[in-house]
Amino acid sequence: MSALLEIRDLRVTIGSTAAVRGASLSLDKGETHCLVGESGCGKSITALSVMGLLPRGAVRETTALRFAGEEIGHYGERQMERLRGDRMAMIFQEPMTSLNPAYTVGSQMTEVLRRHRGTPRAQAVDRAAELLARVGITAPGLRLGQFPHQLSGGLRQRVMIAMALMCDPELLIADEPTTALDVTVQAQILRLLAGLQKDLGLGILLITHDLGIVARVADRVSVMYAGEVVESAPTATLFAAPQHPYTRGLLSCVPVPGKVKRDEPLGSIPGVVPRIRPGFTGCGFRDRCAEATPACAGTIPRRDLGSGHEMLCVLDPGRDGKAAA
Amino acid sequence: MSATAAIEVRGLRREFRVRQGIFAAPKRVIAVDDVSFSVPPGSVLGVVGESGCGKSTLARLILGLLPPTAGEVLVDGQRLAQMDRRARARLIQPVFQDPFASLNPKRRVRDIVAMPLIAQGSIGRAEVERRVGEALERVGLSSDQGARFPAQLSGGQRQRVAIARALVLRPRIVVCDEPTSALDVSVQAQILNLLAELRRDLGLTYLFISHNLAVVEHIASEVAVMYLGRIVERAESERLFAAPRHPYTRALLASVLTPEPGLGVPDVGLGDVMPDPANIPPGCRFHPRCPVAVAQCSAESPRPATDAAGLVECHLARHAA
Ligand SMILES: Nc1ncnc2c1ncn2[C@@H]1O[C@H](COP(=O)(O)OP(=O)(O)OP(=O)(O)O)[C@@H](O)[C@H]1O
Ligand SMILES: Nc1ncnc2c1ncn2[C@@H]1O[C@H](COP(=O)(O)OP(=O)(O)OP(=O)(O)O)[C@@H](O)[C@H]1O
Ligand code: SF4
Ligand SMILES: [Mg+2]
Ligand SMILES: [Mg+2]
Repeated sequence: MSALLEIRDLRVTIGSTAAVRGASLSLDKGETHCLVGESGCGKSITALSVMGLLPRGAVRETTALRFAGEEIGHYGERQMERLRGDRMAMIFQEPMTSLNPAYTVGSQMTEVLRRHRGTPRAQAVDRAAELLARVGITAPGLRLGQFPHQLSGGLRQRVMIAMALMCDPELLIADEPTTALDVTVQAQILRLLAGLQKDLGLGILLITHDLGIVARVADRVSVMYAGEVVESAPTATLFAAPQHPYTRGLLSCVPVPGKVKRDEPLGSIPGVVPRIRPGFTGCGFRDRCAEATPACAGTIPRRDLGSGHEMLCVLDPGRDGKAAA
Repeated sequence: MSATAAIEVRGLRREFRVRQGIFAAPKRVIAVDDVSFSVPPGSVLGVVGESGCGKSTLARLILGLLPPTAGEVLVDGQRLAQMDRRARARLIQPVFQDPFASLNPKRRVRDIVAMPLIAQGSIGRAEVERRVGEALERVGLSSDQGARFPAQLSGGQRQRVAIARALVLRPRIVVCDEPTSALDVSVQAQILNLLAELRRDLGLTYLFISHNLAVVEHIASEVAVMYLGRIVERAESERLFAAPRHPYTRALLASVLTPEPGLGVPDVGLGDVMPDPANIPPGCRFHPRCPVAVAQCSAESPRPATDAAGLVECHLARHAA
C-alpha cells in the first residue's frame, strides 16, 4: 500500500532563510505522524508546502510530493484549491487566521461544502450541526448562528476541527491545534481528534513542540531541527532509545515528574536555534552539540537504524550501549 | 508562626468592571475573591489554574501594581499599602512572561538593568555600574551582551535581562508570572535551572505562576490551585501531586500529558462548559464542570477547610484524608 502523504527532500527558501532543508516524511492512512521541534525549525513551512499555501516569495523544491499516490508537486493554484478543504484539510496555528470574523460559524462551515460539493444549503447546515455535536459542542444550533469572537478559545478550536471535517478529508494537517488552550481543554481536544481518527480513518500530520502530546498521540515521530528532519522513528522507539544528540537533549529538558527531583537541574541544551542561510552545509546542530566532531561540518549521512528508525548524524547509533530498539 | 512570612495576604479581593459589548451594562468581574495565604521565607509557592482564573491579578496585587478592592498584603511583615515605593522595590520584584514587552526597546541592556538602582536616587554611579555588572554575570550574560539592545538578544537572553533587573536591588522576594511560557523547552530548562540556582544561592522566596504543571511541580515547594478567583486547594507540592483532594485539581493533573508513550490521552471528565469570571455560578463555583458534584454543590458554597495536609474547598473533600 502506498503512503497517503509522501514528502521527499523538501527544500523551502524564503529570502535569506533556508526554512526547510531536505525534509522527508511519509504518512499512512489512519496514522498520526507528529512533527516536533522548537520554534522556527520549519514545521509550519513544511505543512504549508503540502497545502500549497507558502508565503509570498517562498521557493519550494522537492523530489517527490505525493498525495494518495498522486504527484502534486507540479499542481497549480486551481488544482490545489480543489484539494484543499476537500480531500486535505488544515487546522492552522492561529484559529482566528482561518475564521472570518465577519461571518457566522454556520455560514463559514457550510460554505466549504457548497463550494466543493455544491451541497444545498439546508443539507450543509445539517452536516455542520452534526459535526459540531460530534466535536463535543452541546448547543450546535446556537453556535452556528454565532460569530467567531463570541466563542471561547476551546470552542473556536472545536469549530475549526469540525470545519476541517466538513468534506470528509483523507488527510488532516493540524498545526499546534491546542497550544493556545488550557491543559484541560487541550486534553479534551486531543482525545477528540484521536477518536475521530479512529472512526474516520483519517491520516493526521500533527505539528507540535510539546513532547508530552507527541508521546500520547503519535504513531510515528519526526524531530525537526533547523529545517531538517534529524530523527524519525515509531513513537515508542523514539522515547525509549533516542539516538540523535538533539532528540536526547530535547527529551532531557522536559521536566518529568518523578524523573528529575525538585531543585535538581534539568538537562538543557546550551545556546539557541541558529538561523540558517541558503548554502549552509553540515549539521545545523553542531554549535550546540556536545558530541560534535570536525566531520559534522561536512556532509551528514542519513542512517537507517532499521524498523523505520532513521537519523541524520555522523555518530554511531547505539554508541553508548543504548541500541536502537 | 515563628519566622515572619515573606508574603502574607489576608482576605484579598479585586474586582474589575468590564463591558462585554458596546451597549451592554458593565459587569463586575471578581478576579481575586477573598484569598488568604502566607509564604514562608525561602520557599516557592507555585500558583496554577486555567486562563482567567486570576493568577496575574494576584501577582499584581502582591507586587503593589494594583490596589486591592478589599483585604491586605504584607511583605516581609510590612503592610504593602503603607510602604514607600522605593522600599518596596528593594524587597519584592517581578519577572513577567513576555520579556520583549517588559523591556524598553530603546535602551541598552545594562541601562535597563540599572534602572531600579537609579530609581532609588541614592546610589552613586560607580556603585550602579558595579552592581549591574554583578547582576549580569549572575544571570550568565556577558558585558558585551550588556551593551546590546533587547531586539539583538534571543528570547531566553531577554528573560535573563529581566531576571538581572529583578535581582539588581537584591530583593528577598521575586514574583514570577509565567517566566518561561514564551520560551522553547531547551531555553525554558536553562531559565528554570538559573532560577533554582539563584534561589539556593541568594535565599530568595518565589511566588511562581505557571499554567504548566510539570514546571510547577519541578520548582515549587508548595502549590496553590486557583479556580475563578479562589484558591480551591493548597498543599505541599509532593502531597498535592501525589494525592489531589479537590476534583478540579484532579482534573488539572489528569490533563497533564507527560512524555510517556502508550498512555493515550485521558478523559478529564469536565464537559464543554467553560468558566466565565463575569458569571460566577452560585454554590460551588466549580459545580457546572465537576464530575462528582452532588445536590448540595449547586446550592451552597463550600468553606475552605484547613488541616495538616493543607487547604481544600469542596463539600466532598472536607473529610477526606
Ligand atoms: N512569511 C515568512 N517570511 C519569511 N520567513 C519566514 C516566514 N514564515 C516563516 N519564516 C521562516 O522560516 C523558518 C521556519 O519557520 P516555521 O514557521 O516553519 O517554524 P515553526 O517550526 O513552525 O516554528 P513555531 O514553532 O514558532 O511555529 C523560520 O526561520 C522563519 O523565520
Ligand atoms: N485590567 C483589567 N480590567 C478588566 N478585567 C481584568 C483586568 N485584568 C484582569 N481582568 C479580568 O480578571 C480575570 C482574571 O485575569 P488574570 O489576568 O488575573 O488571569 P490569569 O489567571 O493570569 O490568566 P492567564 O493564564 O490567561 O494569564 C479575567 O476575567 C480577566 O479578564
Ligand atoms: S551531526 Fe554532529 S553536531 Fe550534529 S548532532 Fe550529530 S554529532 Fe552533533
Ligand atoms: Mg509554526
Ligand atoms: Mg496571567
